[in-house]
Amino acid sequence: MSMLLEVKDFHYSYGNIHVVKGINLHVKEGEIVTLIGANGAGKTTTLRTISGLTHGGGVKGEILFNGKHIQKMPGNKITALGLCQVLEGRHIFSKLTVRENLMVGAYTRKDMDNVKRELEDIYKLFPRLKERSDQFGGTLSGGEQQMLAIGRALLGKPKLLLLDEPSLGLAPLVIREIFDAILRIRETGMTILFVEQNSKIALETADRGYVVQNGEIVLEDTCENLANNEDVKKAYLGEQ
Amino acid sequence: MNKMKNLMNGKMVPKLLLAVILLLVPLLFQNFNYGLLICGFIAVYVIAISGLDLVFGYCGQISMGHAAFFAIGAYGSAIMHKYLHIPALLTMIIASVAAALIGALLAYPASKLVFHFLSLATVAFGEIVYQLAAQSPGGITGNFTGFYTESINLFGFQINTNTRFYYFALVCVVIFLSAKHRLVHSREGRAFLAIRENAHAADGMGINVRKYKVMAFATSAFYTAIAGGMYVHFVKFISPETVSNKQSVMFLTMLLFGGTSSLAGPVLGAASVLLLNEGLRFAERYQMLIYGVLLLAAILLMPGGIYGVIQKGQQKLRRVK
Repeated sequence: MSMLLEVKDFHYSYGNIHVVKGINLHVKEGEIVTLIGANGAGKTTTLRTISGLTHGGGVKGEILFNGKHIQKMPGNKITALGLCQVLEGRHIFSKLTVRENLMVGAYTRKDMDNVKRELEDIYKLFPRLKERSDQFGGTLSGGEQQMLAIGRALLGKPKLLLLDEPSLGLAPLVIREIFDAILRIRETGMTILFVEQNSKIALETADRGYVVQNGEIVLEDTCENLANNEDVKKAYLGEQ
Repeated sequence: MNKMKNLMNGKMVPKLLLAVILLLVPLLFQNFNYGLLICGFIAVYVIAISGLDLVFGYCGQISMGHAAFFAIGAYGSAIMHKYLHIPALLTMIIASVAAALIGALLAYPASKLVFHFLSLATVAFGEIVYQLAAQSPGGITGNFTGFYTESINLFGFQINTNTRFYYFALVCVVIFLSAKHRLVHSREGRAFLAIRENAHAADGMGINVRKYKVMAFATSAFYTAIAGGMYVHFVKFISPETVSNKQSVMFLTMLLFGGTSSLAGPVLGAASVLLLNEGLRFAERYQMLIYGVLLLAAILLMPGGIYGVIQKGQQKLRRVK
């Protein structure tokens, strides 16, 4: 399996505040990788920098996507390369219909015939989106909005899908549903990197995980090993 | 083939009916030249406001200075026609291309500004153009006296009567509204909507936000400048009064009153506000007051404008059925 994403000695500062202090991570094709850690550990900053959404001035280090340096590239160009992020808080276009929202996701595509076929695939993945396809995005529930945001990202046919806190603000049952969908998306061969505070479900879903603490990676292993690690159990899974 | 089918289904019938009515308007107003004059003005404003709608309704960028583009179209065309002796239709197009370029130049730095800062920038731009028209270098615009010009000459055919101008304007409206329809339903149109709804998410979808803001502004400037050119060769006169910020406010009033982000909204808005204007000629000094009340009424009572009210009515009817 070839390397899809490589982050080498990545630092990030907001002004004088040094929040990410030398992170190294990689994602291979076909993997699901997760970053877990407490609030303010630098997970979201890392993810946002990978997709070009942070201010470039604070970035140090290298980020390679498919062998290309992307650390200074604007967000829309990175998306065009095939790296799509589902933002924290979802960012649905609330005054556009569900279908229109999905079509905006296909913005970088030129093969509209394939897009129409894939739209049906997405409706199969999230049947509730099909039921609501003519409804405004803003009228959906939180879980449905998350589904819409994921579907919208998938329609851009990314090589790598980034998810920022997919469980944020959702009921436990809905979280389950979202993560089941993530597993089904992976079966189509998608590579996924996600950040999650709900460490339990993150470690159940992903293949490998990184534990981030105060802007540094303190542990890196398969999720199975991480879930059995005594320190992780204590600090993140709430087990004694 | 497809069109025939639509005809059978009755989908084309309202459209055909509308076309016939529009074509027969000059006959209806045969003994009422003034009515035809108003129809010509409505057509001019439909194009100007459709342009404003592209940037305001679809892309969510407010412009309080669109009279400036109207001015560039009108003065540009008239001055080029007089001094360079280029045929009037061609000068209209050249002036509008120039307006689009100026619009892009303005939008490039302004695209970083959000709502109220952008509106301030456009107010300033409108004022600059107004001052240039009123106190031009060398008096090239005729300053406060105004500038006289000629009507359009289409290969020897003078568009110098109200009827002729009405048909010419009708053709222009059809061309520009179809172009707008195509644009807003294209990939670019989806990008505009995405920017209006959420610029961050649009960027995340791979949309170059700045590029499309500039594009929307330039296209919008082109539309409004064409309308300016049509106006000047119809009235054969332009003065700074016509391109003051009062005009910009009137554009916005018409657009909000008719309804944004639709094809019909600008048509309804231009027609209703202009007819109201004519009906209230005796109260001309209160014009700004009337615009203000209309704007407030539109914003508070019918946020979707006249078109929004009609749409809501249709939805209710459908539900009853």
